[in-house]
Amino acid sequence: MVTQNAMTVPAVSVGSGTSVGPRDTRGYRAFTAVNTVVLLLVCAVMLYPFVTVIAQSFSSPGAIKAGLVNVWPVGFNLDTYGAVAQNGTFWSAYGNTVLYTFLGTTIAMVLTTTFAYAISKPHLRGRGFLIGIAVFTMFFNGGIVPNYVLISALGMKNTMWAVILPGAISVFNLLVMKAFFESLPRELEEAAQIDGLGWFGIFCRIVLPLSKPVIATMVLFYSVAYWNDWFAAFLYLDKQELFPVTLFLRNLIAGASTTASEGAAAAGTTTAAISANIQAVTMILTIVPILCVYPFVQRYFVSGVMLGSVKG
Amino acid sequence: MTAVVGAAALLALAACSPDSGGGEEVDGLDQTAGSMASFAADEQFKATEPMSFSMLWTDWPELPVKDSWQLFDEIEERTNVSLELTNIPFSDAVEKRSLLLSAGDAPYIIPLVYTGEEKSFAASGAVLPLSDYEEYMPNFQKYVEEWDLRPMIDNLRQADGKYYMMPGLQEVSVPVFTLLVRKDVFDEVGAPLPETWDELRVGLEKIKAKYPDSYPLADGFEGASMLNYASHAFGTRAGWGFGDGTFFDEESGEFVYAGTSDGYRDMVEYFHGLVEDGLLDPESFTATNDGSGTVTEKFAAGNVFAASGSNGTVQEFSTALDETEGKGNHEVVQIAPPGGEAGQVVEPRNFWNGFMVNSEAKDDPHFIAMLQFLDWLYYSPDAREMLRWGVEGETYTKSDDGKFTLEPDYSLDGFNINPDAPTDIEKDLGFSSQVLAGSTESRALKESYNSPQFVEYIDSVLSTRTPRDPFPPAPLNEAELEQASLLTTTLTDTVNTNTLKFILGERDLSEWDAYVAELEGQNLQGYLDLVNGAHQRFAESNS
Repeated sequence: MVTQNAMTVPAVSVGSGTSVGPRDTRGYRAFTAVNTVVLLLVCAVMLYPFVTVIAQSFSSPGAIKAGLVNVWPVGFNLDTYGAVAQNGTFWSAYGNTVLYTFLGTTIAMVLTTTFAYAISKPHLRGRGFLIGIAVFTMFFNGGIVPNYVLISALGMKNTMWAVILPGAISVFNLLVMKAFFESLPRELEEAAQIDGLGWFGIFCRIVLPLSKPVIATMVLFYSVAYWNDWFAAFLYLDKQELFPVTLFLRNLIAGASTTASEGAAAAGTTTAAISANIQAVTMILTIVPILCVYPFVQRYFVSGVMLGSVKG
Repeated sequence: MTAVVGAAALLALAACSPDSGGGEEVDGLDQTAGSMASFAADEQFKATEPMSFSMLWTDWPELPVKDSWQLFDEIEERTNVSLELTNIPFSDAVEKRSLLLSAGDAPYIIPLVYTGEEKSFAASGAVLPLSDYEEYMPNFQKYVEEWDLRPMIDNLRQADGKYYMMPGLQEVSVPVFTLLVRKDVFDEVGAPLPETWDELRVGLEKIKAKYPDSYPLADGFEGASMLNYASHAFGTRAGWGFGDGTFFDEESGEFVYAGTSDGYRDMVEYFHGLVEDGLLDPESFTATNDGSGTVTEKFAAGNVFAASGSNGTVQEFSTALDETEGKGNHEVVQIAPPGGEAGQVVEPRNFWNGFMVNSEAKDDPHFIAMLQFLDWLYYSPDAREMLRWGVEGETYTKSDDGKFTLEPDYSLDGFNINPDAPTDIEKDLGFSSQVLAGSTESRALKESYNSPQFVEYIDSVLSTRTPRDPFPPAPLNEAELEQASLLTTTLTDTVNTNTLKFILGERDLSEWDAYVAELEGQNLQGYLDLVNGAHQRFAESNS
């Protein structure tokens, strides 16, 4: 994301290059050139690990171990993709992730938009208190063990709700949305009120359609967060059939680098035996779908995040 | 990663909450439902009624547990016990285990516990003092006597004189991590396989002469692995084995500090000499060998010819070398840790992973039956064979001279046995599982499935090396533990940092005395007094 945002800077300067002003000076052109070079380098640095993993996923395990694979596959093969694709545990975990992401994002969006809309109204009684309890959780939390005890006492342990509900309102997202709603012209809502719409009508038929950029951005934030989340699942789930694919992936990759003690290292040697190409293939298969979401949301993305801050 | 580290720190704190139930009477002895009235060693345990116990189960990514595993059916058929599993991923198994125990939500049986890991749980009363129940575990007692392990068991005792885990017993134990060398290259330059560190140095010099651009020796574990197995030869402890840093001096009869001993200094000097002459790869002493496997890469590229590793690493290096040197053009062997000024000494005999029992289990009506079941599962020869090989006559046969053979339809890929057979006893049936199978092993069983090269390694260690004697027990009480952990944190830190500085030449060895003074400034003597006091107290109350 960072690179893509950054890349828009030189593009803008080229597009508006015809106008007269400081942009035509030699100094500015030199700046643009340097800028482009620097950003291309940054882009390359960001992309390199990604490309390496793609290359590894098509390479033979021996070549990876020997350190021969950089940006191009060595010992090309597709067998690894076949092997991973036949792994039932992987796909059931994958299905869980899709379910958690979809359901989680839906629930989170409903809760966040309605909450944000309510607290965006200055005339709401107790508004300060409601904002206060939300913001409080940004700075303080009960800690892992109390949270764990709470979730099990609520009966959510070993259900998908343990993964979905605790993260359903992200306070950061909530505040961004609140700022966005505050920036909408009050006159629009007043007009709708005069035309006879109630609060829910205004919310659903006026406010939401006007909020597409921020909604798209929040959907992106939430779905990426749910897709990538492994920690909640790690804490609250201990039935393998409930594990999301991130937990599967973490087990596959992080297990290989536990060398704090000899016992762990000895146990880790069997994990190291999982060839690097299987790790690479699993990584690729896990990130590709969520990566595909970005281009669709991209056009809303910048305006969505900026709107609240610029107009406020 | 930060999240995990943070979590681990939190959990460690939570696990230390003081709550030591200190009644002298032993709980749970009347919970005898379903147990066998007389259960003796080498007898088949069978509960008199069907029952089920909850058990923590670590999932290795390449061997996901399956409910359909024959392993579980076989256990149930033989013992009437079914296991309810709580699955935890291997990558964060230790953190999850702490969480479950701290939150009071852990299953009854907690396997895969290495010695030392039980300490914090013992202090918080989350797990049972199993020493109270030893008499219900006849198979355990039998192996302990037979293999002469009683002094080591005593070393597991905490300050209250009880031990809280039952370890996996090993008839023979050899260092898991040791030196792996390219035998073909040592042969090529006319160097014998080294028996001592001095011989190793000579060999490395010859290799360096032939391959001037190489750093022939490397570690891959920030030096912790190599210093660990080297330290015994120098009569001290270091690296992974540094532990609390104390070393028992037989002559004076008290504990001294390993990090300031002459042996430690000689060891550091030796390795510094290697670095100075370009024989030791300094990078592998400062960076971890993470997923990308830097030492493996150097080994494959012919920049390193000897490095630390285990049985599994031999395979890893060989696969990488196949790619660069071609199959059959190289030979990696695992050699016994070289000897040194302290003699041909290697690490003391070791336990392997064992189990703890959640303290809630004592209120279960089937508690005694559970102890008997665990004794059978972990320590009866029949069960050990079943956990490794499966069902006799079905998956394997055993000849009269004790040789195990897999039936042609079954494979054990993990150890390269019958690799082409359709059913893998590990992946498909659950036998040879990491969770249970490795724990307790007789020498015959250990040698039955390992590669001939590894068996050779076991033989060479046992026939040419002496394990260091275990230190006498010096268990600290809870208050002392806290104090000791404060002291050792800074002490160990100073030792580790300076060890690397001395070896890499960032600090001159002439400053050794200044370094010792630094440690003394961190109240080294106070710490040693604590340990020696505990040692005396234990000796007096147990004589």
